[in-house]
Amino acid sequence: MMRAAPWLYLVAAFVFIYLPVGALVLFSFQGGSLPVPPFDGPSLQWYGDILSDDDLTDALRNSLIVAVGSAAVACALGFLAAYALARFVLPGAALMRGLLIAPLTVSYLIVGLGLLMVLQRLGLGLSLWTAGIGHVVINLPLCFAIIYASMGAQQQNAERAARDLGANEAQVILLITAPMLAPAILAAFFLSVTLSWDEFIIAFLLTRFDITLPVEIWSMLRSGLSPRLNAIGSLVFLVSVTAVLLLEILVFRKRA
Amino acid sequence: MTAPVRLDGINHWFGDFQALTDISLDIAAGEYITLLGPSGCGKTTLLSVLGGFVEPSQGTVHIAGQDVTRLSPAKRPTTTMFQDYALFPHMSLRDNVAFGLRMGGMGRAKRHARALDMLALVGLEKDAAKRPHALSGGQRQRVALARALAVEPDVLLLDEPLGALDLKLRRSMQDELKSIQRQVGTTFVHVTHDQEEAMAIADRIVVMNAGRIEDAGPPARVYRDPATLFAAAFMGEMNRIPGINENETTRTAFGKIHNPRMSEGKVTLCLRPEAIHIGKGGFSLGRATVQDAAFFGTHVRAHVTPVAAPDMRLVVHLPPGSIPEPDDVLDLCADHDGLTVFPAEEA
Repeated sequence: MMRAAPWLYLVAAFVFIYLPVGALVLFSFQGGSLPVPPFDGPSLQWYGDILSDDDLTDALRNSLIVAVGSAAVACALGFLAAYALARFVLPGAALMRGLLIAPLTVSYLIVGLGLLMVLQRLGLGLSLWTAGIGHVVINLPLCFAIIYASMGAQQQNAERAARDLGANEAQVILLITAPMLAPAILAAFFLSVTLSWDEFIIAFLLTRFDITLPVEIWSMLRSGLSPRLNAIGSLVFLVSVTAVLLLEILVFRKRA
Repeated sequence: MTAPVRLDGINHWFGDFQALTDISLDIAAGEYITLLGPSGCGKTTLLSVLGGFVEPSQGTVHIAGQDVTRLSPAKRPTTTMFQDYALFPHMSLRDNVAFGLRMGGMGRAKRHARALDMLALVGLEKDAAKRPHALSGGQRQRVALARALAVEPDVLLLDEPLGALDLKLRRSMQDELKSIQRQVGTTFVHVTHDQEEAMAIADRIVVMNAGRIEDAGPPARVYRDPATLFAAAFMGEMNRIPGINENETTRTAFGKIHNPRMSEGKVTLCLRPEAIHIGKGGFSLGRATVQDAAFFGTHVRAHVTPVAAPDMRLVVHLPPGSIPEPDDVLDLCADHDGLTVFPAEEA
């Protein structure tokens, strides 16, 4: 009995975490038109339905573009900021570090509203670009923190050796620092991709005609429950899981 | 490739701390120099000045007659072999060794061939495709050497290159470094705190302390006839016998020695343990009581208390044939040429 209790707790905890996702995925294969028990599948009709819906596939593509693009920009900027702050003695370095990380503590709603006001004052129209800018703003602190934390004396010595052997600053960064920090950079990249991929508030506030998937899902939700939503949700989940698995395989396996 | 180096009037401050004081040194082309001293003596700072990683507050550095004081490391005809080797972990050994050539714009095929030649020089040509993490400490050290030499520097700077190796490997790498230096003819400047290592490889030892050069010369001269008390003590174990100089004669507890070189006043007489023998002749130390003795293979190291100076303890190296017992009494004397005299240090 004493031994069963911890296992029971473990199972309960996992059920609590994964039951909603499991139910979502299960009823995406529903045969009927309502995602509620009893289950009468499996059927792929809802997947066929959403994949032939141009609005949805456009939103899916938009989301991928924004996720990959904003993650790449956030990583590049975060890397350069980390390199500067780790390698050079700069006036006000502690303050700069603080200012770079501070946006992590600001809610997405505030970031989105602030950007919206700035963009409208500047007269820039809302588009995928503006949503991408919003995602760079929220992911940059994370990329900076991850990459900065992994910059150590080992790279610094290798960089010094490369300079001694005739490398210029760009060659040092491209051939030595970035490859040596590849695990941290990839981790930051995939994390940013997943965060941008299912981000709703900023994408909702900063897009207009071209919208990302979470915004599209939100607009579909207003017309009531349907297994279509389950199928989209499952696809979103699949992409996120793929990103995490890639991270695991590319980054953490290599280190072991 | 090889070139002479001239350091002239180098002073350097880190904030208020003076790390280097009036360093002037001429190094001949193809010479193997070691900078020897305790940690914090400025030897690594001086190496950084040579390599271009530190720009000295005052003074100039000339390599091959050209003033390089303000040149960056990349533009100097020097390369450095760093203490932790600083190999590039994401590159194969071949790419590590070829890196400097690649930066110099050499074509792929040519630089790869040259990298393999350099790896062959250090006996690692079979491992060219491996990554540094697959190597032992001694092998990494060889790769670092090959990488630094691949660009044919005029001067190779070595920062405690053998510090991370175990004693046996260190002794064999010393011989190898020396023989590679003979083959390539490059000027080597090697920083170490190990005086045995310095004696084993250097053409000339530069003893440093507190940012100054205490002595510079061939190992035998620096060991047998050091310029300062510090150099004498740092080069090996030594007995210090206090004395007073008057009328060109040094008076000690063991009698007088003619000594025309020194000024009057308190002096310290230095005597290496191996300069002391059992028997008569030379400078007699009289009778001494053995405190303890230990067998070291090539000699027996004993602590003795001279009867003439009961509060003194001398270290003596005796022949390994017989080991004296504690409380044995020995008649001891010292060679005159094993004796050096310095002004006493102010306490």
